[in-house]
Amino acid sequence: MNYFSPTRSALSTAVYPIQLIAAFPSDASEWISEFFQNRDDLKQKNTALEATNLLNNIRLQKLQNLERENMRLRQLLGSSFRLTERVLVAELLSIDLDPFSQQVIINKGLYQNIFNGQPVLDAHGVMGQVTEVNKFSSRVVLLTDPSHGLPVQINRNGLRAVAIGRGMGEPLKLEHLAHNADVRVGDVLVTSGLGGRFPVGYPVGTIIHINYPQGKAFADISVRPAAQLETSRELLLVLPNAPRAENKQVIPAEDLQ
Amino acid sequence: MVSNKASQGGSIIVITIIIAMLLMLIPIAESLRFARPEWVLMTLIYWAMALPHRVGVGFAWCIGLLMDVLMGGALGIEAFSYAFVIYLILRFHLQLRQYPLWQQALSIMSLVLVVNVPAVVMSSNFASWQVLLPALTTTLLWPIIYAFLRALRRAFHVS
Repeated sequence: MNYFSPTRSALSTAVYPIQLIAAFPSDASEWISEFFQNRDDLKQKNTALEATNLLNNIRLQKLQNLERENMRLRQLLGSSFRLTERVLVAELLSIDLDPFSQQVIINKGLYQNIFNGQPVLDAHGVMGQVTEVNKFSSRVVLLTDPSHGLPVQINRNGLRAVAIGRGMGEPLKLEHLAHNADVRVGDVLVTSGLGGRFPVGYPVGTIIHINYPQGKAFADISVRPAAQLETSRELLLVLPNAPRAENKQVIPAEDLQ
Repeated sequence: MVSNKASQGGSIIVITIIIAMLLMLIPIAESLRFARPEWVLMTLIYWAMALPHRVGVGFAWCIGLLMDVLMGGALGIEAFSYAFVIYLILRFHLQLRQYPLWQQALSIMSLVLVVNVPAVVMSSNFASWQVLLPALTTTLLWPIIYAFLRALRRAFHVS
């Protein structure tokens, strides 16, 4: 079916130098501004970072405790618990692509075992997924792209929905939720893991607006993405875990093979 | 001797097109992104008009394909529209050369609109008025680009 993707990938690898050169001016200006930062600024930044690091460490300890407790409880229930995912850090190329689609190029490719459909996160939430893998780079479609849909659930009550992108800095849209669905402004959405592309439980966004249009079957729900799509330069690529068993009682892993 | 001269000219054409590609990719302010002029198409149009025997429909198609890959669009959209525009330019290059610059610029505005049509039909932001902006900026820039490329062509004796 995909006869053209090898061609496209080869062409993309061939034009990658042009993209690198186009990204050079903004990279260079960043290096220069970093190089000429004064000492006090750096010191201040360092103190702030140390403080956040301390806070994060404390939170992490708590989280590890909770995780272990969760695992024990799940063992009691007889279902297996998924280990934490591993991630790979990539940097995005500062170039402009087609303004009518929400895509970015990252500097990791086949050599780093990136694969098609790999989930991409930033420090705050889900960013999108890989759509094209080349030798040294890949193309990532962001979750705000109009062609992108993401299976989500509401953290408060587990209500499942699909978040569709609307492009160009617009909020996401939750599709096909009835007027009487239990949705509130401020609800946090996380990935539901349905569809098998994204791991469960990563933050997607917050519901900022709900509208009930008269005479329409479904509510009109806007979601602000948690990821900082405009400012993040470092992305995290989720590496797949070996065991993907969700609930051994329902589907024994042996039966699947 | 003729072939030697031709190869020298070819490198100038390729270099200008690569620079145009870089101008398409270089990040600019978010508000100006939709108004980015069609640098590559402008360069191709100039060369097709000035040297129709050097820049053909096939060449334009190949450049368009590279633009599709560079900009992350669906494969073949820009390729088709570039080839189509260059076909029209080649067909009418003798008339176009006679026009005053502003009239040339207006013809090019209509051609850039032609380029944008397939891209717009393929995208989901169908009714956005912003798709008209590149045609406008391209028209405004055409006299400058024309003068610049003509000076370049004369300086390097591209033929």
